[in-house]
Amino acid sequence: MNKRLPALGLATALALAGCGGNLDSDDSGSAAAAYPERAITLLIGQDAGGSTDLIGRALADPASADLKQPITVTNRPGANGGVAAKELAAAKADGYTIMVFVGSLAYITPLAVPADQAVDINNYEVVSGISQDDYVLITNPKTGFKTVKDIVDAKRAIKYATTGVGTGSQLTSSLLFAQAAVNATAVPFNGGAPALTAVLGGQVDVAAVQLGEAKEQIEAGKAVPIVTFAEKRPTYMPDTPTAAEAGYKVPVQQSRAIVAPKGTPQEVLDRLRSAFQKSFAEQKYKDFNTQRLLTPNEVDGATLLQQWNGSLQTYKDLVAQHNLDLSGK
Amino acid sequence: MLDGFAVVLEPTNLLYCLVGVVIGMLIGVLPGLGPAATIAILLPVTFGLEPVTAIIMLAGIFYGAQYGGTITSVLLRLPGEASSVVTVFDGHALARQGKAGTALGIAAIGSFVGGTLAIVALTFVAPFVADFALDFGPPEYTALALLGILLVATISSGGRLRALTAAAIGLLLATVGRDDFTSAERFTLGNLNLADGLDFVPIAMGLFGLGEILYNLEERHRKVQAPAAVANVWPSRADLKQSSGAIGRGSVLGFFLGILPGGGAVLSSLAAYALEKRRSKHPERFGKGAIEGVAAPETANNAAATSSFIPLLSLGIPANATMAVIFGALLIQGVTPGPQLVTDNPELFWGVVNSMYIGNILLLIMSIPLVGLFVRILRVRAAILAPITVLITLVGAYTVNNSVFDIGLVIAFGIIGYLMKKLGFDPGPMVLAFVLGSLLETSLRRSLLLFDGDPTGFFTRPISGVLLALLIAVALLPLAQTMLRRRRPASDGQGAGATAPGEIAPAGEAAPDETAPSEKAPAGRAPGTEKPDGTTPAGNGPEKKETPT
Repeated sequence: MNKRLPALGLATALALAGCGGNLDSDDSGSAAAAYPERAITLLIGQDAGGSTDLIGRALADPASADLKQPITVTNRPGANGGVAAKELAAAKADGYTIMVFVGSLAYITPLAVPADQAVDINNYEVVSGISQDDYVLITNPKTGFKTVKDIVDAKRAIKYATTGVGTGSQLTSSLLFAQAAVNATAVPFNGGAPALTAVLGGQVDVAAVQLGEAKEQIEAGKAVPIVTFAEKRPTYMPDTPTAAEAGYKVPVQQSRAIVAPKGTPQEVLDRLRSAFQKSFAEQKYKDFNTQRLLTPNEVDGATLLQQWNGSLQTYKDLVAQHNLDLSGK
Repeated sequence: MLDGFAVVLEPTNLLYCLVGVVIGMLIGVLPGLGPAATIAILLPVTFGLEPVTAIIMLAGIFYGAQYGGTITSVLLRLPGEASSVVTVFDGHALARQGKAGTALGIAAIGSFVGGTLAIVALTFVAPFVADFALDFGPPEYTALALLGILLVATISSGGRLRALTAAAIGLLLATVGRDDFTSAERFTLGNLNLADGLDFVPIAMGLFGLGEILYNLEERHRKVQAPAAVANVWPSRADLKQSSGAIGRGSVLGFFLGILPGGGAVLSSLAAYALEKRRSKHPERFGKGAIEGVAAPETANNAAATSSFIPLLSLGIPANATMAVIFGALLIQGVTPGPQLVTDNPELFWGVVNSMYIGNILLLIMSIPLVGLFVRILRVRAAILAPITVLITLVGAYTVNNSVFDIGLVIAFGIIGYLMKKLGFDPGPMVLAFVLGSLLETSLRRSLLLFDGDPTGFFTRPISGVLLALLIAVALLPLAQTMLRRRRPASDGQGAGATAPGEIAPAGEAAPDETAPSEKAPAGRAPGTEKPDGTTPAGNGPEKKETPT
């Protein structure tokens, strides 16, 4: 026993080290026609278990079946995906490293962080858009608020939870309150769950969270939806007006796309896009979207770039117009 | 509820419960690879399973890992997770005395008792305690974190000044990264890897794991011969007797702290340890191999692991990273956890709850015989074991975030850990203060935003008011004590008996209907029976100090 154990340990360690080696080694440069001939790494810039991670994993399975190569999902959380985006930018443009890129990193974070920390989506190749997440402003039933007008009429200082600095949650609420001339203070939390908790526990008055996150609480009557920030009323919330209907201009959504390093060959991008389209078509994936209240936005790269660049400009203008400072200083 | 048992006892579910618990133990043993990461990796496997089966397996991984983490804490001084950090102190000391088996045995029993009691409580009181958890907002977390950091200073085996210094460094380390409120970068040196701050895992692995190995290499000649005979896996009657109180208290404390969203398992193991040290007639034994020092935190973290399912299943709010992944797994299965889960999906809710009874029994049955196997690792010569440990540590650190940068961090903190050890600093307070630091900072700042900058707000809220009153008592008592002692040098006051027995029991019962009692005791009418917060970590521990004088 004395001797066997260390040997075992060593063997395990060697095996582990060996795995790492295999993943890294590559004989790229070979014709893109043969693509893919080995495993593809799908970077996720968020923690495992979050919505971006779930979407990535839900897509990876069917796409890898189509590509006949495994897709290894790798979480590299940090800076709203900035860490993963930087890693992607440095990766070889051969289609073996791709990423699920969140829209807020491209069109909201730049409004909150110094220019040198902002990520520019135009420095990447977009494979395909994925889907869109709408926000809803919720409140605790105890506040008695049912409409934005109730909040305005309350004539008191409002506290709202956000899911963090540079997120769509922060941008929607701050734009809404600026336009409604409500004296409101943002209290940043780390993500949707704690922001939701703060509303349920009555620590804050309202919070904008993603529809899927609030769905259960709304159905259970523990949270009251005030407005959604969707373009038109979501089918599952027919009685809740959109911000536009309520008279406010807050066109903010979270959205996601599959992205590859700049310079990835067109035929590789096309191959990837057709593989992910297989995933989009799967009933199981469609059900997943419905259940999470995600709106498909499976557009091609050019359309997506147009959307995201447009959003960045729109938000820049709105933020300037209302004199907002998203960095919260 | 009985239907739930019928669900669990289906052979498939039993099998996956076993699979989950075994995987959990294994990943607990491998430092670095935590349950959150493992469950994420295994998510695709669960796609093809029935929802109940999938969650039973994932839950098994989670609480199995709580026990597995003990093994490396005790044997290699490598806490796999924040909730096992305090186990290192006495667990490893016991291992060095050749009592690794006893330590692991007690941990297994404590885990079993803590887990099982928590499930019983979960079964009966889940709906009530869920609402109680919601009353914990930023001000309450501020008070809790402050108390925790104060306790950190008291648990260290080194001197108090050194412990406080180490804790202060830990707090500083916690400020690295992007400011949550302004998104300004702090101490990141422009390095994107530091933008979200330092990660707990590489710090703990470096300070404890690598630091220890480096230190031992130098001191090798002095190193005690690895324990020859690790005969008794079953703790002796005396050990059991000594630990039973700790296990009971740890269960209650762990259960309540586990319900709180965020930080629950860490706070509970830390609080349970501090409580035992405070209560002990011989606190000086702690850190040198006190069996209660292993029993208490291990019981508490398993109880917390179980009770942290309450906010997920009844509120739809994941309390920690692992719960978040399980939340995701449920979503993929078409089940949305939330207030309606119990009514919409009773077989799932009760199936999962009841699987935990079975899982805990499996854990106990398996761990006792396996302990012997694990303990033999200690007999491997240091010259062989050390490099293997280093390798596992580095691989483990890498796999958490797939980050080469983290490997560098482990090495850097390994060197710091080595230097600290040489200079007589205990790395424990540093790691724990680091873990609590960001909770403290963000909660404090959130609270001030909520109070419009008025700090008196902390004292007007019932729960945070009581916690802060306690805090002040804990901070001032040692001072008062020393002054008294100076006057009456002889009295070392072990009035343990007086407060001791009364404290814990009421704590447990009072907690569910929390708000009522606490409101009338805003000024922390301190010690005695109040303690509505079985929840307050320090809750029971510190005030014991009062009696002595």
